[in-house]
Amino acid sequence: MNPAQPAILRSYAPAVTVQQHEVVLRTKQLVKRFGSITAVDGLDLEVRRGEVVGLLGPNGAGKSTTIGMVLGLITPTAGHAEVLGRDVRVRREEALAGVGAMLEVTSFYPYLSGRDNLAAVALLRGGGALARVDPLLARLGLAQRGGSKFRTYSLGMRQRLGIASTLLADPALVILDEPANGLDPAGQREIRELIRELAGENRGVLLASHLLYEVEQVCDRVLVIKKGKLIASGTIAEVTRGGGNYFEIVVDERRRAAEILRGLGITEIRDTPTGLDVVADPTRGAEINRALASAGLYASAIVPRASSLEDVFMELTEPESPSASPA
Amino acid sequence: MLRLLSSEIYRLVRRWMPWIMLGLIVVTAFLFYFLIWASINAQLQAVKSGTIPAPPEGTAQLTETLRQIAPDRVAQFGVGIVAGLGSVMLIVFAASHVGTEFGWGTFRTLLAHGASRSGFLVAKTVSLVLYAFVFIVVGTLAAIGASYAVSAVAGISFGSGVDLAEVARVAAKSGYTFLPYMALALAIAVWSKSAGAGIAAGLVVYFAEGLVATILVSLNKDYAQIVNWGLSRNASALTRAGAAAAGQDPTASTLPDPTRAAIVLGAYCVIFIVLAYWRLRSRDVTVGG
Repeated sequence: MNPAQPAILRSYAPAVTVQQHEVVLRTKQLVKRFGSITAVDGLDLEVRRGEVVGLLGPNGAGKSTTIGMVLGLITPTAGHAEVLGRDVRVRREEALAGVGAMLEVTSFYPYLSGRDNLAAVALLRGGGALARVDPLLARLGLAQRGGSKFRTYSLGMRQRLGIASTLLADPALVILDEPANGLDPAGQREIRELIRELAGENRGVLLASHLLYEVEQVCDRVLVIKKGKLIASGTIAEVTRGGGNYFEIVVDERRRAAEILRGLGITEIRDTPTGLDVVADPTRGAEINRALASAGLYASAIVPRASSLEDVFMELTEPESPSASPA
Repeated sequence: MLRLLSSEIYRLVRRWMPWIMLGLIVVTAFLFYFLIWASINAQLQAVKSGTIPAPPEGTAQLTETLRQIAPDRVAQFGVGIVAGLGSVMLIVFAASHVGTEFGWGTFRTLLAHGASRSGFLVAKTVSLVLYAFVFIVVGTLAAIGASYAVSAVAGISFGSGVDLAEVARVAAKSGYTFLPYMALALAIAVWSKSAGAGIAAGLVVYFAEGLVATILVSLNKDYAQIVNWGLSRNASALTRAGAAAAGQDPTASTLPDPTRAAIVLGAYCVIFIVLAYWRLRSRDVTVGG
């Protein structure tokens, strides 16, 4: 245990010696169909202790349905989910004893204060959770408003309370569905730091988020799903490497520039408002510059770029054009 | 299960609604006793002063009505007030107690924190029964208090005083008859995920079924064979058993046997709770509930 950690976090450290990198969540061929719609289609995923795994996908990709199945809220059509080796369908209560989950819509009792809401969850959790209520309110910046009714909370405060509730049970697995919704930039940063701290305590964290910058900052691995299917997975570096490197070229005569670059054997060229994005090996910058200059086209800038997670995400999840569909 | 129940009770005692209902039943009990006394007393004074003509049977009827206020009549009159208003309030409460969990989305929150669906339903049912018990006890104690207070003010003899055993027996029977209506309201709230639907269904059945049953039996006593399997006739059979009022109801002779009535009402409770569980168990819980 790191003595430099804040006391509030040290107090959550698991009391027993735990196996490093133990798988805390595993789904196997998870499928969910709602009538004719397949929301999740044969999803395999794993989250280990000490890592933050990002679950990415466009709206309707199946992220919340997946989380619902992991928590036993939604019954899978096929496959199963295991938390700490326990099948959620068979031993749900035992499995969820080690899980703290915050859903994408944070719902608490409007007539109770934030503190009482946490206490109500803590009573349900048992095992000393009640003693963590006030420290958690303080940790999430809600100490001053802990006595206010939940119905008076702003969206950001509701999110903070939701995150606090996930930590009441000293969980091995923390599931956060859009935790930064409604938070200001400073709040988002705090949450990112908290997520990393949780992983540092040897907990596994599954983070579903639309904020790709947030995911890029905190996640060790990402899983990209589309229409319920896993379409990419790996570390951020591995996933973004798939998106390739490119040059951002600021140039006036885009059409002519594109013709010249095609002459160099470059095929992936996209128009941008200021010029072109050109997919090419990072070593070819000088060659591109020389070719353009030889033709009398002087680029204002030729900037080598690596694909960001956002670029890759957009590329992976963009709607298929009708012509691209198989016949 | 016990952890969920303790969380349930923690939330229940911090909610305004149950306290307001308890306050209402106490105020209503006192108000009823006071209004009965004030109204009858005013009529007696008016008859004495000749402002209104004396009824043909004299003032004996009025005096007898005034005697209902006395503590030795609490088992009939006081518990009757609590049962009359209490049944409606408890039906509303049962539906609200469960239905709001879906409206607020807190059912999903509880499940996400490890609560089981069966545990949720058991905790709700147990807390409802406990609250109904407290409600009837408080209401009955208020009726006893009101009876003594108004009798003292009105100068009515306390008679033999309150027969606590009799009051408890009548109150327990009344309370038992509320349970299937509460279970029905709970089941409808679970099925519809709405407190409003539970309240509406509970109240419609409470009022309409009894009315229809009474009309049918008045038309033809043979219909009793059918309507005696309903809620209202069995509830009536239980609360009127041994009561003096039974002789005043022309359909009372066709009421079912009290023991059978108790079993039928208990069976209804079980059926409604099982139906609620069956729905809860098979439902995917997405946003809300």
